[in-house]
Amino acid sequence: MTTTGSNPIGLRLLNQASLILFAVVLIIFGVLSPAFFQPTNAVNILIQTSSTGILAVGMTFVLLTAGVDLSVGSIMFVAAAVGGKLILGGWSLSATLVVMLAIGGLYGALNAVFITRLAIMAFIVTLATRYLGRGFGLRLTETRAMNLPESFYEFGAARILGLPLPVLIFAIVVVLAHLTLTRTPFGRQIYAVGADLDAARKAGINTRWILFLVYVICGFCAAVAGIVALSQAPAVSPGFGNNREFMAIAAAVLGGTSLFGGRGAVFPGTVLGAVLIQTIDNGLNILNVNPYLYPLITSGVIFIAVLLDAIRNRTLERLNRRRIFVEMAADQSAVKKSL
Amino acid sequence: MLSAASTTSTPAPRRINVVKRLFLSEYLVLGLCVVYFAVFTPFTPGFASWSNLQTILAYCLPILVVSVGLTLVLIVGGIDLSVTSIIALASVVGGKIMSADEGWLAGSAWAIPVGLFAMMAISAVVGAVNGAAITIGRIPAVIATLTTMMFVSGLAIWFTLSRKIGGLPSGFVMLGQNLWIVAAISGAAILLAHVALTKTLYGKWLYAIGHNPRAAIVSGVPVGRVTFFTYVFSGLFAGIAAILFTAGLETGNPEMARDNLLDVVGAVVIGGTSLYGGKGHVIGTVFGVLFLALVDNSLNLIGLNFYTIAMVKGGVILAAAFTDALRNRFMAGA
Amino acid sequence: MIEFVNIEKGFFGVKVLKGVSFAVKPGETVGLVGENGAGKSTLMNILGGNLQPDAGEMRLNGQPYTPRSPRDAEHARIAFIHQELNLFGNLSIAENLFIGGFPRSATWLPFIDRRKIRERTSELLRELQLPYGPDTLVERLSAGERQLVEIAKALAIDAKLIIFDEPTTSLTARETERLFAIMAKLRERGISMIYISHSLSDVLNLCDEIVVLRDGAVVGNAPASELPMERMIALMVGREITQLFPRRDTKPEEGIALDVRGVSQPSVARNITFQLRRGEVLGVAGLMGSGRSELARILFGLDPCAAGEIRLNGQLLNGLSPRERIQRGLAFLTEDRRMEGLCMEAAIADNAALVALPRFARGLFGFVSEKKSRAAVRNIREAVKLTPSARDAQPVKTLSGGNQQKVVLAKWLLNEPKVFIIDEPTRGIDVGAKHEVYRLINELAARGTGVLVISSEVEELIGICDRILVMRRGEIRDTVGASEFDRERILRAALHEGASV
Repeated sequence: MTTTGSNPIGLRLLNQASLILFAVVLIIFGVLSPAFFQPTNAVNILIQTSSTGILAVGMTFVLLTAGVDLSVGSIMFVAAAVGGKLILGGWSLSATLVVMLAIGGLYGALNAVFITRLAIMAFIVTLATRYLGRGFGLRLTETRAMNLPESFYEFGAARILGLPLPVLIFAIVVVLAHLTLTRTPFGRQIYAVGADLDAARKAGINTRWILFLVYVICGFCAAVAGIVALSQAPAVSPGFGNNREFMAIAAAVLGGTSLFGGRGAVFPGTVLGAVLIQTIDNGLNILNVNPYLYPLITSGVIFIAVLLDAIRNRTLERLNRRRIFVEMAADQSAVKKSL
Repeated sequence: MLSAASTTSTPAPRRINVVKRLFLSEYLVLGLCVVYFAVFTPFTPGFASWSNLQTILAYCLPILVVSVGLTLVLIVGGIDLSVTSIIALASVVGGKIMSADEGWLAGSAWAIPVGLFAMMAISAVVGAVNGAAITIGRIPAVIATLTTMMFVSGLAIWFTLSRKIGGLPSGFVMLGQNLWIVAAISGAAILLAHVALTKTLYGKWLYAIGHNPRAAIVSGVPVGRVTFFTYVFSGLFAGIAAILFTAGLETGNPEMARDNLLDVVGAVVIGGTSLYGGKGHVIGTVFGVLFLALVDNSLNLIGLNFYTIAMVKGGVILAAAFTDALRNRFMAGA
Repeated sequence: MIEFVNIEKGFFGVKVLKGVSFAVKPGETVGLVGENGAGKSTLMNILGGNLQPDAGEMRLNGQPYTPRSPRDAEHARIAFIHQELNLFGNLSIAENLFIGGFPRSATWLPFIDRRKIRERTSELLRELQLPYGPDTLVERLSAGERQLVEIAKALAIDAKLIIFDEPTTSLTARETERLFAIMAKLRERGISMIYISHSLSDVLNLCDEIVVLRDGAVVGNAPASELPMERMIALMVGREITQLFPRRDTKPEEGIALDVRGVSQPSVARNITFQLRRGEVLGVAGLMGSGRSELARILFGLDPCAAGEIRLNGQLLNGLSPRERIQRGLAFLTEDRRMEGLCMEAAIADNAALVALPRFARGLFGFVSEKKSRAAVRNIREAVKLTPSARDAQPVKTLSGGNQQKVVLAKWLLNEPKVFIIDEPTRGIDVGAKHEVYRLINELAARGTGVLVISSEVEELIGICDRILVMRRGEIRDTVGASEFDRERILRAALHEGASV
């Protein structure tokens, strides 16, 4: 009886596990360092988050359909390499940006064609195009780092309505993605496709088209993430974007998106996940912690979050099993009354 | 009319059947290896030479050992993204113990046995952590092993402050540089996995769990235990690979095999093991690894830049996956 | 309403439909019965636009009807309610109703008109008396409630013809009644229905007209009043089955195989006590949610048991894992074949050998003797009369429901159980296979195995059991011996609500 009584409260806490964890992290850093709670630092965290955050938003679309995109790091790199070549070749900033975005979308479309038309697993397709993209980018840059002109840096330092441009772009991406996922037919159909592909097809949803668009969106977001990253450090190194897909997946998963499709949200989910990861980095930085310890602490926090989520799922399962027996619950209340 | 048509057309379907059977067989990837080898030998100077074959083997064997461990995990319906980080951690742990420059047991006669033991032990421990997180903590395998990957590789780098460790004792180095010893160690490991998978209760249970874990539990399969030990085995195989790599390169390196993770997964999947569990075999993985190694090696010999090689490799993975998709469609039709 | 004219369809040279013709009149309910493989689902797939017929045509209200996709069927106002529901648990009821084509809001933005779908959904839910809001997630609903959501979906497209394909398999008795009441309402509204089911009594009760298919041809088409049950069965199987339930000559032995005393688990089971004798077939009746399947899971060790004792041949089973209970001679056929009974993608032989595998293993490393296991599988598949056309290496999913059930039985029989718990022995399998399953249960009993049969079909229990326990709300409410078997008494005990409601 005591367990049934305490479960809903425990569950309510578990439901907010990410938020609570986030609060705990904030409090710890806040106590340890007064500089952490400065408004400028909050803005800093958002600026630092924006690139990974945008990448993770795109990844969320793909994960919702039970797919995965391992090529996003390479997409960032190819877009950045081509962009760098163009702008150093005298193109204007705006024209360069348009081309970079187009590359992201096209790269995603390439992935999508293989996945939807040739029916190859997303994991393998994007693994292959990850190599293709990295190789192509390295060839373009001849494996040398490229320093981009001042204009890129000014672009990153620009402020609109008092907001730094990277944060503004991040916000726009999040709002658009959130509205798309929650309000449009396309968005809801993404959830349907992720939950049950066969059923979605039978319900008359054009599943191929949905899957296609999802990868295009992911590619596009990767290009945007590349641009935002360049605006903060305007140089294209050979390792640009490498292994970023893992960070993007981690942020989405931390925000409650399931890798098995159909479950998750961009806001607050993925955004919270991305900000949490960056906050830890930022806090450790302020505290002057040995940088070698960053990945250990970050992955430790992720592990706790994931474990809490697993416990929550199990609790839910248990409660749901009880819920089947409506009659039994009635019996219990009858027993209680009779006592 | 009808009967006449059918009698004249009988030979043709039979020939198609032979092609089709080869296409559908488990040895498709081996076939691809042979064809690739045959086609490229005339254009690639030194491709078929004994010394080059040795190079290919030396490159492939350690990778093969990790891949075989991963094959077990994929068959049980899981995934282990931490294998390459286990290699890195075991590598630096071994280095820290055995190195003549900075090892804790530098010069001692115990250095090698303790070093080997520690490398295997740390690998098994990480595997056990994965296994416990997945079976007891019930965290999805991708997430659990992704987290251990980040943690363990961070640990390896922190442990050495991202420096490489040299000065390993010659007795140890021999384990990774004498091709016969390398072949014997990895051959034994691979054979062990193959026999376990095809001949023993453990292997049968592995497939059953991969197909349907709930049905397996009801049928009396110790699902938790089998799954747990599969991750431990995966860790141990990574540990063996770590010994071979570390000895072969004569360094304990915290970034060892870092960029091989997706290679390994790709090779296993090309070898016919399903990411959805229940399907796969060690022989397929051997061919998958061999195939990627052949491609890598031949392109190197032709003198292509490494970035062109990366691109070609991507194309080859796509082509192999496409063939596999075609194959599945054929099988569904047959 | 809809007319099938000489529909033919073949797969890989095998004719599945050989010129099927019949018609459904407006407002009429037609029952479609036949064994698995008779061609029912192929016909319905053609009607739904998933398959194209090789010959023949369909006429909808006199006009030719040639659907190319499920979309076309929807536009023709034909809706399907399948055994496996096509709903998305992660979406709300309203979203599920309109997932194929959302109405857009009036603005230039591509947003869903959420108010409109909410209002329309509330309206439909009220009509079907489902006490949920339109924003409720479907995963929170029970199986029966989800079925009603499917019906709401059909009403949302203003369907004129609704096809029910085995709609009652996962419903409780009460939910089934509710479904039938709603079907009666639909009929009043002039909606035509095709009702497909293995439960022949339901078909008789619900339908105006019955069409019997066998081997791809219509072998019977008559008003329900002219087709009594025996005649229907005879038409379906093509021969007279004199007795669906084969006779058993052996009597239960004296020894107690399974001794259950005071088994309790909070909010699942209360003070369950019974003895199952060797060679006895003991039935457990009760509604879905009465705790009967849960009791089986407790006995088998899949669910926890807070109090009480479970003994098999005198050995205490409490605290043992399912694996250890199997080693002591317990077997358990679950109600859900797909999820818990079989590895659908794996070979027949591998499935059949799975439980008894440790018997074929030798030595420290557990080397499995292929020879022994293959021989054992060969014997057992003959014993359960698995279709000879199935190869050992063939995946189980390619088999019909009846043959799949035989594989599940085979894998347990191979381990020579002392007590066999069978939950829903004949769910979703055809008449011929049912007969075979009953015969196997008799054989088990004759060999001295104690058999506990759980079933929602009371006729089945009456037909094969020596004794029947009736469960309600996690308690045994009545025990009925063979001499006093009475359908009404059992149902009353199972349904009786008492003062608490």
